[in-house]
Amino acid sequence: MSKPEKFFDENGLRLDGRRVDEIRPMKIEVGVLSRADGSCYLEWGNNKVLAGVFGPRELHPRRMQRPDTAIVRYRYNMAAFSVEDRIRPGPNRRSTEISKVSREAFEPVVMTHLYPSAVIDVFAEVLQADAGTRTAAINAAAIALADAGIPMKGLVSACAVGKVDGKLVLDLGKEEDNYGDADLPVAMTQDGDITLIQMDGNLTQDEFKEAMEMVKVGGKQILEIQREALKSKFSQFKTEEIEEAAVIETPEPDATIDETVGIETEVDESVETDTEVIETEDDNEKVGAVFVEDDANDKEPDENTDDEDVEEGEINE
Amino acid sequence: MNKKIVIPGQFISNNVKNAGSGTYVDDGKVYSLLYGILNDKKRINVLPFSGKYIPSRNDLVIGTVIVVTPSNWIFELGSAYDGLLHVSEFPRRVDSAQMKGIMNVGDSAIIRIKDVNTAMKVELTMRERGLRAINYGRVIEIMPTKVPRLIGHSGSMITMLQKETNCEIFVGQNGRVWINGKDNDMDRLGVAIDMISRNSNVSGLTEMIFRFFRNGNDVNDVTRTSFEDTDDIRADDME
Amino acid sequence: MSEVMSKLKKDYIYNLLLKGQREDGRAFDEIRDITLETHVIDKAEGSAKVQYGNTQVLVGVKIQVGTPFPDSPDVGVIITSLELNPIASPTFESGPPRENAIEMARVTDRGIRESGAIDLKKLCITRGEEVWMVFIDIHVLNDEGNIINAASLGAIAALMTSIVPAERNGKGEDFMLPVREMPVCISLADIGGELMIDPGRNEETVCETKIMITSNQDGSICAMQKSGEGALSEKQVLQAVTIACEKAAQVREEHLLKI
Repeated sequence: MSKPEKFFDENGLRLDGRRVDEIRPMKIEVGVLSRADGSCYLEWGNNKVLAGVFGPRELHPRRMQRPDTAIVRYRYNMAAFSVEDRIRPGPNRRSTEISKVSREAFEPVVMTHLYPSAVIDVFAEVLQADAGTRTAAINAAAIALADAGIPMKGLVSACAVGKVDGKLVLDLGKEEDNYGDADLPVAMTQDGDITLIQMDGNLTQDEFKEAMEMVKVGGKQILEIQREALKSKFSQFKTEEIEEAAVIETPEPDATIDETVGIETEVDESVETDTEVIETEDDNEKVGAVFVEDDANDKEPDENTDDEDVEEGEINE
Repeated sequence: MNKKIVIPGQFISNNVKNAGSGTYVDDGKVYSLLYGILNDKKRINVLPFSGKYIPSRNDLVIGTVIVVTPSNWIFELGSAYDGLLHVSEFPRRVDSAQMKGIMNVGDSAIIRIKDVNTAMKVELTMRERGLRAINYGRVIEIMPTKVPRLIGHSGSMITMLQKETNCEIFVGQNGRVWINGKDNDMDRLGVAIDMISRNSNVSGLTEMIFRFFRNGNDVNDVTRTSFEDTDDIRADDME
Repeated sequence: MSEVMSKLKKDYIYNLLLKGQREDGRAFDEIRDITLETHVIDKAEGSAKVQYGNTQVLVGVKIQVGTPFPDSPDVGVIITSLELNPIASPTFESGPPRENAIEMARVTDRGIRESGAIDLKKLCITRGEEVWMVFIDIHVLNDEGNIINAASLGAIAALMTSIVPAERNGKGEDFMLPVREMPVCISLADIGGELMIDPGRNEETVCETKIMITSNQDGSICAMQKSGEGALSEKQVLQAVTIACEKAAQVREEHLLKI
């Protein structure tokens, strides 16, 4: 690849036809790996990344465990064939640094204190690299974490902004990245808090301020795409099934048998009736109630103590 | 009433007093902590689509021995945390040397969680009637979040499963289900449990499963006929 | 981290076997559904994504100019690597490849090398000085058992779609990698004396012994490996060869010949 003669056409559009504030198209699939607890495949321009989350799970060796919180591990890894010139498999200085800052990009949102002593592993595999792999990996990892059922205050969205030919551009393409004057990858929470920021190149302070404005807008767009991807995972499933159903027979509107399941109001003797002798007072109560205590006690001390907490109390007696 | 898919960080309500499981409160607003289905009929709860079982005191679970030490059996619980069964928590006196003879690596047992400390050290017990090693039957795994669905309201689902298959069933809180009966009955039950697990968001599920048993093995047909609008499905599911 | 499989699960698999059944309902000689996609990674000279059931493997081929080995100054070089990435299974750990990964890489490599699939003579640029080096990198994404068959199918498919980047390297015009054979590896697991083709994850855990057989278009065998702590009878090995060659032809027909 050699440096293009110019980065913008007469209409101010970029090499790939984008406006300066336009991100590349993004395609997302949720839940693509059967062995991971959560996973996401993401294409962004020509980037192809796969994120998988395992955990919370037992952390070995034990000396790494922290009794008050889970730790997050993040491994950014490039496939040998993901770039023009083959790279040796395994970690290198670049991937080690990216792994570190990416992990730190998630630590502010992941509720690690709910899983003392455990580990949450995030693996981000770059299958094809085309400028912006760390941000692509973070966007995929956020979805994979949600898919794994990891409690988070919100998703993390990442995008780069840079300077090319003296002009600020959002989401650098390959040539812009290679021959541009500045690159500023940023990851942010939904509230706009910055959880990752790196920069190389040269920007004036005014340019930097403007760049931050641009990247915030980009981050918001990406957040929307991430949300849509998560929401559509189940609606797609539903639509397909309904179409099939229509072919076979019209759905029957319902069921004489009362089969509603209470998450909080579940009646106690349920299992008892079915299992030999084991008495089980509370078999149904706790699904979904896992976070209540922490939430109520640690985070919002003012919150009402409420029936759910009382139930939890009973369980513990 | 509001039944829908929510994702972490999504604003749910201003009604802080009703913030329940799977939510957090920030600046007077309730947000979701999880990717799952919102149920705000009474309290505001989010039921996650997936997630690991987190051991909780008094839960009954099914575990598999992964290590035997001189005084403990260490059980894997399909959880973020393994559990420790001290030799003194076995129903009868056992010498160190006999431990592997009683339960060895790979053996499964129905056990109760005796205690969980703040660092999530999980202590187990078997000193109770009904708690025991299981050497026959099968163990099926489902997502722990689907356990209530498998049990059904007042145990309606599980009662029906038992009646239709003549199998013994025990549902561990960690999503492991022990079943025992004739081979072909266990096969049918296995299929039914899988259907429940896959269609846990569908209304009319008990009816669907009932028809599966009565109409023979046409699983797909039954599965397909019972899909309805998601909102209703989820509403039903959560009530 | 190794996974402990419960005895109940093992018993279950053995009991099925006694009834002539498998966990996922397949016949003993039935391979899971295979999907093969090529040209999935533009940055690679050739690539393929393979799914064997839910086992997922991505193979990329990179071709670069390098120096030949002193004892073979006029032939190209093949280097096969396989990574059991921790994203693929809760039991895989980060770190350099261990014996399982290395074994699978070498079995794949032997299939390609010994079948003469690549005409290495045509990869010589200047005798004794410059040859084309073909890197086959196998990225394992999801392990539901029998990675090796997915890996080797992906490897040959990726090679068949590879273009030697001569132009970029100032070595004349680009050309298709000269591939002249289509080796296909088939694994069989011995469970309780019965041979099961294409073992799934649990079957792989339960079995003591596996045999992998790679065969060519003419039905000849080019690579073989027994793996695992058990032993196979001679009869079993012979039977395995017959099945493997027959099934390899089928996989070749249905997938490789359509590329």
